Amino acid sequence: MTHATTGWHVPEDDLRAYARGELEPPALWSADTHLTACATCRTALAGALDPVVLDAGWERLDAELDAPRPGFLESLLVRLGVADHTARLLAATPALRRSWLGAVLAVLLLTVAVAADRGTAGPPTLFLALAPLLPLAGVALSYGPALDPTYEMAVVAPVHGFRLLMIRTVAVLAAGLGLNGLATLALPGYGLRALAWLLPALALTALALTLTARLGPVLAPSLVGGGWVALLLAADAARAEDTAVPLAPFTAAGQGASAAVAVLAAGLLALFRDRFDVDRTRGV
Amino acid sequence: MTPTVSASGLSLHFGRTRALDDVSLRLSPGVTGLLGPNGAGKTTLLRVLATAVPADRGAFTVLGHDPATSRGRQEARRRLGYLPQAPGFHPDFSAFEFVDYVAILKELTDRTARHREVRRVLDEVGLGDVRGKRLKKLSGGMRQRVALAAALVGDPEFVVLDEPTVGLDPEQRMRFRELIAHAGEGRTVLLSTHQTEDVAMLCHRVVVLADGTVRFDGTPAELTARAAGRVWSSTERETGAKAGWRTGTGSFRNVGDPPAGAELLAPTLEDGYLLTLDGAGAEVTA
Repeated sequence: MTHATTGWHVPEDDLRAYARGELEPPALWSADTHLTACATCRTALAGALDPVVLDAGWERLDAELDAPRPGFLESLLVRLGVADHTARLLAATPALRRSWLGAVLAVLLLTVAVAADRGTAGPPTLFLALAPLLPLAGVALSYGPALDPTYEMAVVAPVHGFRLLMIRTVAVLAAGLGLNGLATLALPGYGLRALAWLLPALALTALALTLTARLGPVLAPSLVGGGWVALLLAADAARAEDTAVPLAPFTAAGQGASAAVAVLAAGLLALFRDRFDVDRTRGV
Repeated sequence: MTPTVSASGLSLHFGRTRALDDVSLRLSPGVTGLLGPNGAGKTTLLRVLATAVPADRGAFTVLGHDPATSRGRQEARRRLGYLPQAPGFHPDFSAFEFVDYVAILKELTDRTARHREVRRVLDEVGLGDVRGKRLKKLSGGMRQRVALAAALVGDPEFVVLDEPTVGLDPEQRMRFRELIAHAGEGRTVLLSTHQTEDVAMLCHRVVVLADGTVRFDGTPAELTARAAGRVWSSTERETGAKAGWRTGTGSFRNVGDPPAGAELLAPTLEDGYLLTLDGAGAEVTA
């Protein structure tokens, strides 16, 4: 039978899964919406089930219909396989909003344009210097009393603060590194040299999170970001005038140092994880 | 009866500022009011009891769990609801999405059960009809009710409310008082407030805090009784009064030690509160 407007009906397998309470989003959302408008599918659903299961199904449908449809980011995350409750936690992350990601993309496009304009004789220094700072800033914007409006409620929730931090960090890092990766693809002439931002990005982010446990979520990333810029300026001063030579952090030794810092900081972060469970950053 | 919260010798300093000094109290079911002037340490005490910040010294339990340990803290938080002084919102969330977000933080991960619970608490605070509206489009009073719904989601046994009626107009304040009274049925609610009316209308017990220390702990009637025989009326401002203010009739209402032959007045909770503060925040106005 054809639906009057769309021609689509809930597939029988989905109907059975729906009735058992086993249908997962986004197929669940489609079934919810369709069942409210399609008497045929409602009849099919009623005929396929015992009354107890059916009542539970209607109750669930009632609760689902009250829930507003999730926004773009949440829907996208669920379609990518993220659990709906995790998707909602991530939807509250400032650095995953379109405005932030758009700003990051704009900065990357500018730096890529500058790098492309200078040719491929030397390393794309500006791009390599800036790219690690973007994921760091994103992670810094994702957690803490100064930046998360619901921090006060989150810190007294039974969900461990470190777990929330990690959920958001992984998502923001994935988005930030993904954008950086796309920007890297726009610089094919540099080969692997254009990927030299990756290990410093991981090192800066891990180091900032570790220091956050001691210094708070504003001072720690600020210090780490400032330290990175100072390091690059010092490296620039040390390499004399040959701009074809990469800065020290982007050499093999520098990459090794970044990897070591990332691993060490990650270990310390795990050690300090309980410090994220209470607010140690301010007085009242 | 085992108290919901049992605290002993809680102290907390921020740098050289003493926020709490040897605070001990026990809370049991019903609404307990926490009164005190600005800077008395009310918010700090609430944040300590809500497990947001650890105390420097002292100990306390919430429903038998010790928040000083990681496991005890998590168990306490599972049975706790908290409305901060300035609750923050994600403005792009709807009322439903926001409460749903807090419900997830409270480990309600089953989608159907969680949505049912979110709907229940939004109905409880009278916002069932606007659950789909963006928070930025709701009035301040409605947003405050959304925050209360978030505090109540998961049916916590211990609810901490930090000045929830501040900034509300009189009608909204009355509505909010009804909600708090309802929330206090069968639960332990700790309500911080500046307003003695809140305490008089809602609380079975009141704690007065000043300079980080507990100045009074008893029933509202006992606090009122502290001012018996110490409130009087005069036509001129009494310099010897601890506090005094001109009333709508033009005469002065004074609290303190009345002069001989003074016209004594029936005391109120506010009179008892002002006498309890005794210089730690009471202002003489004219």
